[in-house]
Amino acid sequence: MQRRRYLGVILAVALGTAGFIAIVTMGRDVKKTLNRDLDLLGGANLIMAYLDAGHKYSKMQQFQPETIDALRALPGVEAVSAIVSKPSSHSSVQRHNIGFHVVGADGFFWDVNSFTPVKGSFFNAEDISQKRRVCVLGTKLALRIFGDVDPVGRMCWIENEQYRVVGVLGGVAVGDLVDFGFIPITTAIEYIPGLPPPYKIYIRCTSWDDVKRVADAIPDVVHRHQLTDSLRIEVRWEELKRVKSMAWWVELFVYFATVSTLILGGFGIWNGMMATVKTRKAEIGLKKAIGAEDRDILAQFLVEAVCLSFTSALLGGVLGLGALEIGSYFLKSRPHDTLFLACVGLALLFSLVLGAGAGFYPSIRASHMEVVDAIRDE
Amino acid sequence: MNNILSYEEENILLIQVSGLTHAYDNGTGPIVVLREVSLGIRRGEMVAIMGPSGSGKSTLLSILGLLMSPTAGSYTVLGRDVLKFDRSSQATFRRTYVGFVFQRCNLIDTCSVYENLEFPLIYAGVKRSERPERIQDVLARVNMSHRLHHRANQLSGGEQQRVAIARALVNNPLIVLADEPTGQLDRMHGELVMDHFEQIMSDGDKAVLIVTHDAQVASRCTRVCLIEDGVLKSI
Repeated sequence: MQRRRYLGVILAVALGTAGFIAIVTMGRDVKKTLNRDLDLLGGANLIMAYLDAGHKYSKMQQFQPETIDALRALPGVEAVSAIVSKPSSHSSVQRHNIGFHVVGADGFFWDVNSFTPVKGSFFNAEDISQKRRVCVLGTKLALRIFGDVDPVGRMCWIENEQYRVVGVLGGVAVGDLVDFGFIPITTAIEYIPGLPPPYKIYIRCTSWDDVKRVADAIPDVVHRHQLTDSLRIEVRWEELKRVKSMAWWVELFVYFATVSTLILGGFGIWNGMMATVKTRKAEIGLKKAIGAEDRDILAQFLVEAVCLSFTSALLGGVLGLGALEIGSYFLKSRPHDTLFLACVGLALLFSLVLGAGAGFYPSIRASHMEVVDAIRDE
Repeated sequence: MNNILSYEEENILLIQVSGLTHAYDNGTGPIVVLREVSLGIRRGEMVAIMGPSGSGKSTLLSILGLLMSPTAGSYTVLGRDVLKFDRSSQATFRRTYVGFVFQRCNLIDTCSVYENLEFPLIYAGVKRSERPERIQDVLARVNMSHRLHHRANQLSGGEQQRVAIARALVNNPLIVLADEPTGQLDRMHGELVMDHFEQIMSDGDKAVLIVTHDAQVASRCTRVCLIEDGVLKSI
């Protein structure tokens, strides 16, 4: 009896130590990997599709609005953005010409690329529908045109038309776009001469797991809505692979920690019930002496173990709700209540199994106790 | 399972023990606790079993209550060989035909008097609605009705022993086995406990076996047996 109790304690402590070591050692590596790959997270679930002219004398094809709408309706697609671009635009400042890329973007462009302005704001749907001459400049371009002066609200020339600067785009995720100028797609088509049609679209998938499915579905959707033989799809497979691999390790790490904790809890219950059976030996003997059968004693201790486990799970549910509220507050996002309730339900169900499993052996021992040994235990 | 014994045969002995022997091995060799014990008890008898410590009194009582099995011998109750019962039937026998009173009372401290008395009724399958009346009745017999909802550890030693007697009687058993029931009580409370045992015997249907060191207790029994070195003698 004593040896078995010690075994329970040793197993519990060993598992706890293993969990602690795993958290301290693997946690550091996971954090390191996460930092290294963080800049890839925005791009890994982005698909670029374009209609390649193939030959420089071929006529440029463009994505039709109904094709774009159909792509937006695909399961796993979060947003689709169409753009037009001209690589050799120029702006004149004090009679000096500054060359740069100009991009005509729709209202989804910013969300698709997870961009946020470093100054001012992006142009909105009204700017696009009204074909307003407003622009957003990359940080480097803004510096080249305006120097150290805050460009927001100022006017600049693009292809001989005056535009009001509404915002500045910057940050790590922007990359080369810091030297680009962005204007509403409708304005670009209206005012920029020699602009190719919208032949390029960006598709943001809901999660990394959706990328392959969406990429496979794009050709079929496009060919159903327009005639084209020049569709090209670019997916950042390597980045996606790395991000998915990193996510897999993070998930494995979290599951390992969770399962270790639950197993630890199970051993805790087992050990606690063994101690309870020992300390209540006289009670067991007495109950048997007054007529309790083995199954009565078994049921009593099994119910106690299950209640212990179930109450722990209920408490865990309350703590989980608290964590959910705090997490939602800081992340500005909240999962569905049904998901939380499903998790609580699953946890409660698991707690019943855990309690019954962990309490079974101590209960069996209690029920098989010899009456005379038990009753003389005092 | 409740009719594992027959009440009909009035003339046969309630308890009959023949050649009962019990020995155990303590690692250095067999220790014989009971040697060829034979004993017959009729209804209405209150038998005292006396003897020095370690003579085998409590072992005999444990065997009679089917708390343990002897090494050899036979034991019948109303003519039925109860040593052949399986574990389940032994439990049925204990809750239906036997009431135990232990020296230390063995009440569950964390439970109330009511709950302590309810356990035997639960195990006997008595309906919840019938329990309060039976508990009140049996508590009234030992003058403890006023302590119904007190916790066991709030009672004095004498009160605890009276509750223990009530618990032994709550299922109306044929046999009451008491292991030094007055051992931890003063003279006055000991006398009170014996009064209760005599009251139990008054219906002439039951048998009471009392293991005791106390000659005063033994003197109030209908018969006294002496046990020495595992050998039983009637006085």
